[in-house]
Formats: sequence, C-alpha cells, structure tokens
Amino acid sequence: MIDVLFVCSKTPPMSVVADTLDKLNAEGARVVFGGLIPSRAAREHRDELDFAETHDLVQAKVRRAVQLPRGEQVWLRVRSDSWLRERARKAGVLVALDEQAVYTVWQLAQRNRTAKAVYGFAPAVNAVRELKRTGVAPSGSFRPPLSLVARDGARAVRRLPDATARLVTARPIMRRSLGERLWRLPLRVPGVPTGLRVPIGRRVAEALNWAGRRGGATYTLVLTASKVSDPALKAELLETAVNQDYQRGIVPPHLDTAVQALLDLADLRQSEGRYEEAARNLRNALLLTFHRVAHIDGLTSPLTADPGRFVKRIHSSRAMQTVMTPRGRLRPAAPPPADRPLRLLLTTNENANFLRHIIHRYDAHPDVEVRYLDVASEEVLKKVSRSDQRVMQERMGGDDAYAAQLEQLMRPHLDWADTVFLDWCAAPATALTNLDPGDTRIIIRLHSYEAFTRFPHMVDFSRVDDLVFVADHVQDLTTSLVPQLRGPHAPRMHVLHNAMDLGGFAREKTPDARFNLGLVGIGQVAKDPLWALEVLRRLRERDDRYRLLLVGGDMNPRASRASKKYSKQFEEELEPLVEAGAVLRLGPTDDVAGKLTDIGFILSTSVREGCHVGLMEGAASGAVPVVRDWPFYAGKAHSARTLYPEGWVLDTPEAAAQRVLQVNVSEESWLDHSRLAAKYAQSTWDWSVVSADFDRLFLGEQR
Amino acid sequence: MRETANQFAAQGWDVTVVTIEDESWELDSGVDHTLSEQVDPRVEVVKLPLRRADLETDIRRFSERRAADPAAWIRSLRERNLEAFPEPTFGGWRGALEEAVLRVHQSKPADLLLTSCVPYTSLAAAWRLWEEARVPYAVDFRDGWSIDVLGAAEAFGRDTEEGRWEERILGSAISLWVVNDPIAEHYRARYPEFAHRVHVVRNGYDADSAPQSRRAPDPESGLVFGYLGTATFPGGLLQTVLDAWRDARQREPLLANARFEFRGHIGSGARRGTGGHVELLWAAEADGVSYGGPVLKADVADTYAWWDALVYILIGGRYMTSGKVYEYMAAGLPIVSAHAADHESVNVLKGHPLWTGSRGVDREAIAEAFVQAAHLAVEATDDQRAAALAHAERFRRETIMAAAVQRLAADLQLEKGRTR
Repeated sequence: MIDVLFVCSKTPPMSVVADTLDKLNAEGARVVFGGLIPSRAAREHRDELDFAETHDLVQAKVRRAVQLPRGEQVWLRVRSDSWLRERARKAGVLVALDEQAVYTVWQLAQRNRTAKAVYGFAPAVNAVRELKRTGVAPSGSFRPPLSLVARDGARAVRRLPDATARLVTARPIMRRSLGERLWRLPLRVPGVPTGLRVPIGRRVAEALNWAGRRGGATYTLVLTASKVSDPALKAELLETAVNQDYQRGIVPPHLDTAVQALLDLADLRQSEGRYEEAARNLRNALLLTFHRVAHIDGLTSPLTADPGRFVKRIHSSRAMQTVMTPRGRLRPAAPPPADRPLRLLLTTNENANFLRHIIHRYDAHPDVEVRYLDVASEEVLKKVSRSDQRVMQERMGGDDAYAAQLEQLMRPHLDWADTVFLDWCAAPATALTNLDPGDTRIIIRLHSYEAFTRFPHMVDFSRVDDLVFVADHVQDLTTSLVPQLRGPHAPRMHVLHNAMDLGGFAREKTPDARFNLGLVGIGQVAKDPLWALEVLRRLRERDDRYRLLLVGGDMNPRASRASKKYSKQFEEELEPLVEAGAVLRLGPTDDVAGKLTDIGFILSTSVREGCHVGLMEGAASGAVPVVRDWPFYAGKAHSARTLYPEGWVLDTPEAAAQRVLQVNVSEESWLDHSRLAAKYAQSTWDWSVVSADFDRLFLGEQR
Repeated sequence: MRETANQFAAQGWDVTVVTIEDESWELDSGVDHTLSEQVDPRVEVVKLPLRRADLETDIRRFSERRAADPAAWIRSLRERNLEAFPEPTFGGWRGALEEAVLRVHQSKPADLLLTSCVPYTSLAAAWRLWEEARVPYAVDFRDGWSIDVLGAAEAFGRDTEEGRWEERILGSAISLWVVNDPIAEHYRARYPEFAHRVHVVRNGYDADSAPQSRRAPDPESGLVFGYLGTATFPGGLLQTVLDAWRDARQREPLLANARFEFRGHIGSGARRGTGGHVELLWAAEADGVSYGGPVLKADVADTYAWWDALVYILIGGRYMTSGKVYEYMAAGLPIVSAHAADHESVNVLKGHPLWTGSRGVDREAIAEAFVQAAHLAVEATDDQRAAALAHAERFRRETIMAAAVQRLAADLQLEKGRTR
C-alpha cells in the first residue's frame, strides 16, 4: 500500500481531483487530502470522493508571513498542523496540487527524505506507478536535515531587527489607540531622514493592519507620505494607502491626494522623457480614480453628482492632456459605396451579447458584406487591444513599436472595411483610435458601464465618426465627462435601442403570475436587489400571496470587498424570505422567456442602467413594469422617467408597492396593464422596429 | 521528424538524430513509445540529457528559492536562457546542442545537417557546425519563426536579436522548409534574395493513422463525434464549441443521444491533464461529452474507426496549418470546423466532400455544422466516402517527405556519407 498525500492551498479543479483519485485508487494507493479550500461547495464535493481521509489544514496566523511569497506564507501557516506532519511522515508520495503548495511539499520532503515529492496530477500518478515498480518504502523518520536547520537559523538571525520591530509593535500594543499614537510620533517629527521615516511608516502600517486597525494603517502611510519630498516615494506610499482602502471596500478619504501625487509624478516623468514611467503612473492615477469600488460596486458614485468637477483633476494633468489631444484624420470617411455592398466590420472584445441580431441581419442583407472580429480571439490582437498603458505611452511619443504593431494588426481590417462598428467603448476603442482610420468610417457604441471607466477619456473621438448610445441619459453623462465630446472634433451622436428579439417573449402567463414579482439579473451591486425585497415586504404586509422570483446568477462576492459586503447583507435578508417561500431563486437560465411566464410584474430596482434589457424583455412578455427612478440619473434632464412611459417609474419602494396594488386591484386591470406594456415594448424596442434605425446608421436613407 | 529520418535512411543515408532523453519528453506532454518504435532501425539516435527545467514536476529537483516562488524562478530562468540565445524556453540548451553536434560530427563526419524547429536554439548548433566545419545545413522551420502564426503578424523585426539570427542562419542555409504557402510567401517576401530556397513541405498524415475500416453509424445507440489533438486553443473557443454542441443536440434528433469524445494532450508539466479545458469538458458531461486523455500513436487508427464524425478545433488564421487536418481527412469522416473563417486549413479542406465548411467561430454556425455533420454521418454515400479518402491521398506523409528529401539530396548532389 502506497500512502499518497495531496496538499493544496486553494480550491483545486475538482473533476481532475476525482479523475486522478480514481486512477490512484485503481493502482492500490491510499490517498489522503489536506488542503485549504475556501469554497464550501468544493469541500462538499471533495468529501463525496473516495479519499481515505480529508482534512482542512489548520492555519496559524503568522504576521511576518504577510510579506512573504504566497508559497512561504502557506507553509508558515500550516507547518504546525499535526495531521499534516503525521500524514507527511507516512507518505510514499507527496503531491502539491497548486503552485502555492509547492513550498509546503518541498519542506515536507526535506523531513520525509524517501518519499517522492511531485507537483501536479499526472506526475502523482506516474510517481505511484514508479514506486510500485521500485518498491521503496518510507523510512518513518521525519526530521529536517541539519543543513536546513542551519539555514533557517541563519535566516532568523538576519531577520532580527525586523523581528524586534515586530515585537515592539505587537498586536496587543497596536490594538490600543495609545500604541498607535505613540508610534506615529516619530512620523510627525520634522527632520527625520527619509531613509528612516519611510521604513518606520511601513512597519507601523503593517503592525496596524495586523492589529485590525486598518484605517489607522492607511492614515499612517498618508502621514508618512506627507513628510516625504521624493515624488516617486510619495506617490507609492499614497497609492498603497488608497489601495488598502479599496481592498476594504471603502472609498478612500485620501483618494484625491493620491491621484494628484500620481499625476504629478506622471507629468514629471513625461517632462523628463521617461514615457513608460509617465504612462504607468498616469494609468495608476486613472485606475484609482475610476476604481470599481467607487463606481461599480456601490449604490452611489461620486462621478454622477458633479461629473465636470469629478474629472477636472485628471484633465488638468499635462500628461493626460497629451493623451487626450485629438490627432484627427487625414481624410474624412468615404460615403457608402454605390457600386458594391457596404463592407461592414462588426467587432468587439469577447462580449458579443448585443451584436448577435446585428450580425445576423447584415449577414443576410444584400447590400452589406459582413466580417466579424472578436479581438480576444487572437492572442496578440487581444493583448495589443487591451494595452491602454502602451496607448498612453505611444501618444506621449514613446512607443513606436506599439504603433507599428497596432498598425500591422489592425490596418488590414481597416483597409477592408468601409465601416467599422466597435461594440463597447472600452480598451479596444482606445487602441483603435490610435490609428488614423483612412477613409473608413468608425462607429463606436457605448452601453453604460464604460462611462464609469477611464476608457472614454482615452478614446480619440476626432477619429470616430459616430458614437452610439443606448439611452439619452448615458449620452448626457458621457458628454459631461469627456471634453472631446463637447468640442469641435466631436463625432455625431445617436441614441439607438439595443437589438432585441422580443417576439419570443409574448407567451401566456400562468394563473398565479399576477402575484409574482420578477427581477431578472441580480449579479451586480448596481441591481440593488435589496430594494426589491423592500417592495416585497410592503406588499406581503397587505397580501401574502405576493412572491418575488429572482432570475440569474448570484453576485460574485469576490469581485471586491464592497461587493462582498453587499452580497452578505443581501443573503442575510434573503434567507428568511426564501425559507418562508416568499422568494424563489431560479438561478441562471438560457430560457428567460420561459421563466417570465410565471412573472406578472417585472422590476427594475437598479441604481443605474443603460436601458435595462431584462425589464424590456419582461414588459414584452406582458409583465407589468415597476421601475425605480434610477438614483444615478434621477432628477436629471434624462433618466428612467424619460426612457419609459409615464407611470412605470417610481421613487420609493412604497410607491412601487402602491403601483402593484393599484394595477392588481382586479385581474382585468392587471390584464389591461399587461397588454399595454407588451404592446409598448414590442412596438418600441423589438428588433423589427429598431433595425430600421441601424439601417439608417449603416446605409443612410437611400437604401 | 521521424518520417524525415526514415526517408533519409530509406534513400540510403546514414542518419544520426540528436534529440533529448525520453524522461525529458515525458515532462513535456508525455512519451509515446509506439511512435519511437517506428523509427527505422538503421537510424542512430543520440539522446542528450537536457530537460525543460520550467516543466519540472519533481519537487526534489527544486531549489528552495524555486519552491518558495515557482513563478518568479521561472521568470529568472527565462531571463538567463535569453542571455544564451533569444528563445526564453530553450536558450539555455545552446551550449549542449552545439557540443553534441560537434561531437557527432567528430565521430562520424556529416555531409548535411537538417535542423527542425522548435526549439530555434538548435539553429545555433547548425551555425556552429557550419562555422567550424562548413557542414551544409537545411532548416525545417515548420511554422516559421519570424511569423506569429496565431496573431497573423510579424513576430519580430529584422533589427532584433532574433531577426539577426534568422537572417544569418537563412543566409547560408541550402534549403528552408515550411508547412504552407502563406508562411513560404512570408519568407520569400522577407528574404527575396533566397526566395528560391524556400519550399513548402506539408505535414501530411501517416498512412497507419488512417482507419482500415469504419463502423456503421448507429443513431439508435448514439452517433459518436471525436476530437483528437493537442488542445492549444483558448478555453473560450472550446466553450463556444461545447455550447454549439449542446444547441445542436437539442434541435437535431439524430444528435439527441450523440456523444462527443475529446482525446489528446491538454497541458504540460505540472498542468498535464488539468486546467480550464478539462474543467469545461467535465462540466459538459451531461451533454454526452467526455475527455479520455491522449491516444497512443498505435491506437490512432482504431480511435478514428470508432467515431462517426470529427470536430476540428484550431486557433490561428491564414498562416496556421495543423498536422491534424491531414489525418482528419484521411479518416474519411464528416468534419466540423471550428476555426477562423480564413484559416489556412481551409485551403487543404476545400473539396473534401464530407467537410461542413468554414463558418468561423460563431456558436450558431458551429451548431448548424454539427447538424449537417450528423446527417452526413448517416447519409453519406460510398462514393462520397471514397472521394473523401481520395482527397486526402495526396497528403500522405511518406510521399511528401520522400519527395522533399529527394529534392534536398538532388539539389545538393551530395553523395558523400551514403552507405549504399
């Protein structure tokens, strides 16, 4: 019997684990599994497999581990796990299942000197087969060699000053505000040399993080930065501080200071001709400015309150102004050809969800020849299209190789096409407009989320002929953010509804549907499904027949800490409602139309949307729309109120509940509203109607 | 390479092959002894103790530094390799390859050296032998070096270290072999001064990989579609194919209980047999999809014989040809294509009566191709099948390589070193 020990530091691919386990069991091995698996589902899956034993490794908290490579962190944390040591002693084969577990297996292999130690699944099977052939048994001894002991000892001595600093900034001391304040004293004092101030600042910040005083840690770094004159060091400290806040899921109070430091550094590096560093720092400033925690994973965004003010800082940077300088084009776009079909290149970066109907229509159109290009389908093109830092560097004049590579990759497409339609105004739009398009007409579509990113600020709109939005309020916001869209080089701007085939949604509702609210798509914080729970509660206070059906995948709590926080609160509030049968979680589906047959009211509870496809499809199915006045746009010239008919849009959960009750006063009333909603949706947003707008966009009025 | 060596031997040459040890191949994507058994016994094989350290899976061979941070260690390894030769994975082999070639020449003087890439580092060995002993050499580039066959773009400029090496090595080479016309055109345009030395030598297929018989398709028990090859395409493409497969099964009664067997190498080193592709395949188990690992060379023909239709998934575009396309055609089965519409393989497949056409990588188009292939599998006439085999016939590797070797020998008029 050969004992095999699997060690993993993260969730392994369970199907491969299962397959390998079958092979090893078939070889007569006894396989035990020790790992750190964060996913509960994966742990449950593992426990169903035919392991001789499984064990969740015990993690000791070791402060200095934080600074080490991940592999060493894992070992420092699990090395005192007695289960692991005992199984490693007996093992004939030690297997690391992932890269970060390699060091742990290396250390175990130093102690069990006869075991085979391998990395990977296939090597594990090979090792067992070889051991069966050669028949070497484990020695039973489990001691590290003297050389390793000596090396570890020497290392501990070398670490002594750090260790001492850690001792005097130990967790119990730093947990007290007195300890924190005492340690900040040397950081406040003027005249301390930078070479001393910065290491102390970093050490105190580390200690405060370790003690759980994360706000204090951020403040310490900011304080240290404030006393440092070196611009690179200052920017680095502030960037670290702000990123720590973002990791905690909060919008950093010192964001402006950090962004300004990075912009100053970018400007300086540009003036020195160090364009790569200038572009990197500028990009870092933009990343902090448009971080998802601030704009995507929360219920508010500082960007919408006063867009002009929000972007003023970055637009004041000289480096950014260089990047934003319109370069124009030598020739205007040629009119559509009269003697042959229009060559239309439809392109996107992976996400073709909103292109499908467009592709099919123009593929079959006699006056159009279509090519489709997913820039992510070719590795080099994907890399080049997403390299926004190199775009910036090139515009500063420091990356001719990038310009040449882009030219080589994209020019053949531009030469072929009469018109390019790029879906999503994201990184590929910045790369595309780095090229003079010749006489090819360039159309870019901006959906919604892009307005909250850095990309529209880096697109050279002087090389874009038409910019398409999916709603007026998105156009308003983007225009107020991006100066080029207000200037003489601005492209023509259009609002065109998304291409949606709503015909298949008109199906008969089930008898209970009029007491079922539906929310399609709950995968992002911006959907704010808690608002839907509030509406449901208010309805059920009056009539407990009301239920809420949630369609779509769950939020990804790993997207950010902010997302995790929201997800946690949502799950807590959801659980009793699910148990009571008031909420049904239908999960992700390919058949939204089928699910909608059970839904009598379709909700849009988001804080922001472009046009909310889920709501439009729901309306087309005859579900009566109940729309929150999306707070990001509420009260502005265009908003949900101007996108949807009078009466659909409401301010509060109570008003939403009232609308449901009023519509549902009788079955006939609900049916009337249902028919009207379906009719409105079909006659306004269906592809049979909207396609005429796209014909006009691509072909003009004449065809 | 095996067929090239065999053809030289068959034409009377005394052949020595310099390669790496079996154990080192094992690290890569595994060893198939049934393949090496087919090497002509007259061919002498010199195996060098070179290993791809980046693919090492034996943790006992790791230094502590490597074990603590494998990714950083590999980065520094690549940097070290680049110091020897501009190829991050193999640059470090340069010295050993050069010494080995000089050693072989010393013990058995060579009239000709043929180097097959990758690794491109072997070019340095050819150059060293040329410089020290003026042994003429030819380069079998397969996919080419200065062309990025995946991105369909120049991989490096002429004024780079790689560019200078390529120009130097091709300047004195007596012949350059590449796998298809677009790559040949690239080289002819890049180096017009020796355009006449550039030859297309297609990969072709081994006759013994073609099934001798085929089973009658049985829709009752379920049609079987197959993929055989190394999975080098992105996970996104595989996902599209699997989505299309699911769509096709739902809409086409002939496919309702069909299976899709995926065979071949996935990943190398520690990641052999694992990774995102394997996860995707397992996740599609409910749709009749399975992953059965690699197939031994000796079992290839039987594997094709068991299938009713083939799925051809490939990255790249107009510069990319896979060796598999020839083998697929020789199987005489319907072929579903999932690759760029302007892929070079299209030039080879065009005219194959059981091919469902090049439709790009759109999910719906691939689903339609699955449906069409299912019908072809059960409805194809004997004449169609015979025409499919006839279409493939001209790509027999033995024929292609025999002609290529003959041409090389004739061009050189090399008589020295022949044993007959």
